[in-house]
Amino acid sequence: MTKILVVEDEQILHKALEEFLVDEKFEVFGAYDGEEAIKLIKTKKPDLILLDIVLPKKNGYEVLDAIKSDDETKKIPVILLTNLESMEDIQKAFDKGATTYLVKANYRLEDIVKKIKETLK
Amino acid sequence: MKIINDLNLKKQAHDLGVKVWQTPGFMFIMLGVIAVVIMTATFFISQNYDSPELVVLAESSVVIIVLAVGNSVISLIEQMLKLNRMKSEFVSVASHQLRTPLSAIRWETELLLSKHRKSVSAKQQKSIENINTLSIRMTHLVNDLLDVARIDQDKLIIKKKAMDISLPISEVIAENKQLAKNKHIEIIFDGKKKMPFVFADPEKVQMVIENLFNNAIKYTIDYGKIEIKLSKNDNVLVCAVKDSGIGIPREQHGRIFEKFFRSDNVAKYQTEGTGLGLYIAKNIIEQMGGKIWFESVENSGSIFSFSIPIAEKNQA
Repeated sequence: MTKILVVEDEQILHKALEEFLVDEKFEVFGAYDGEEAIKLIKTKKPDLILLDIVLPKKNGYEVLDAIKSDDETKKIPVILLTNLESMEDIQKAFDKGATTYLVKANYRLEDIVKKIKETLK
Repeated sequence: MKIINDLNLKKQAHDLGVKVWQTPGFMFIMLGVIAVVIMTATFFISQNYDSPELVVLAESSVVIIVLAVGNSVISLIEQMLKLNRMKSEFVSVASHQLRTPLSAIRWETELLLSKHRKSVSAKQQKSIENINTLSIRMTHLVNDLLDVARIDQDKLIIKKKAMDISLPISEVIAENKQLAKNKHIEIIFDGKKKMPFVFADPEKVQMVIENLFNNAIKYTIDYGKIEIKLSKNDNVLVCAVKDSGIGIPREQHGRIFEKFFRSDNVAKYQTEGTGLGLYIAKNIIEQMGGKIWFESVENSGSIFSFSIPIAEKNQA
């Protein structure tokens, strides 16, 4: 089963994402802050990561740096899922190696699953 | 006429949200008064005194007064620019903060409508669908406000590449088919006609088409017709959206692309709308190197057209 890590600090969004993904037959585990996310990535080795930018302890960019600087995790695709959308944010995300950048408010859960499947192909 | 309007200080102060003495009109009058005083004083001094020291003294005072007035004008302009920037930043921050609860409402209602469909009654389902539709509308509104703030700050994101413009057109038509059907509006578009690729931002082009098409549907009364046509003109591709709608009153043609402007007949006919769509569309098209324009006759319809540069061979 495909393993997905959901990194989202907002409870309601986190639970909604997890529930939808589990129903779509993904194996899902979640982190609510950046440090927890880095730990889980190292131990669980997910197949794909959904990553928010504004997070407690360590932000999404720091998590992305940690993923990309470790040989064992650098190939894991990372979909940034955030409500920030400035030119600087998008550029920074791709410079640091994000695979895709999605604005939460503009996507239905169904569309996010579609993007996950496209990315995993 | 303009001078009289400019000198209506009370109205100006009200429109700009400042004190009367801070209005440009008041500054203008003050400059006039100072100029007259200076001229009179210079004339008086040169007539009555021969002493060069006195003339130098008078000239120095004039220079000091002019500098003082200049300084206050500059600081006022500075203050206004600062306020404008703060306004745009406020919109950006507020909009981002609004997006999180909006995403939550959309996702939660989506869960109810998809995964928990069986546990809700038909009546409840209708209510949830309404909440979902309204949260999507609010998201669009927030996105529009963010785009306007970006335009004001010169930070609109445009990522151009060679693209087939008929794809976003077909997508927009497919998305709005039901809406048009409900109003018995016929849609005409030949998506199979081969057209050269344009060099543009696909997402932004779709936004513009969606805006023009939505306006066409919104302002066309039942049993109308909307036609989308593509044509090549030198090195640009022109996309025209023609409707048989309520049109725009002649005297308001000049203001149609202004921020927050809605024409009188439209505001009467449709209360939904912010007057931001065409302002955003114009800025997007111009930043992609194109132009946007329209022809319209009240009560018979409008044609909104925009041009986009055709992609050159080396533009991927």
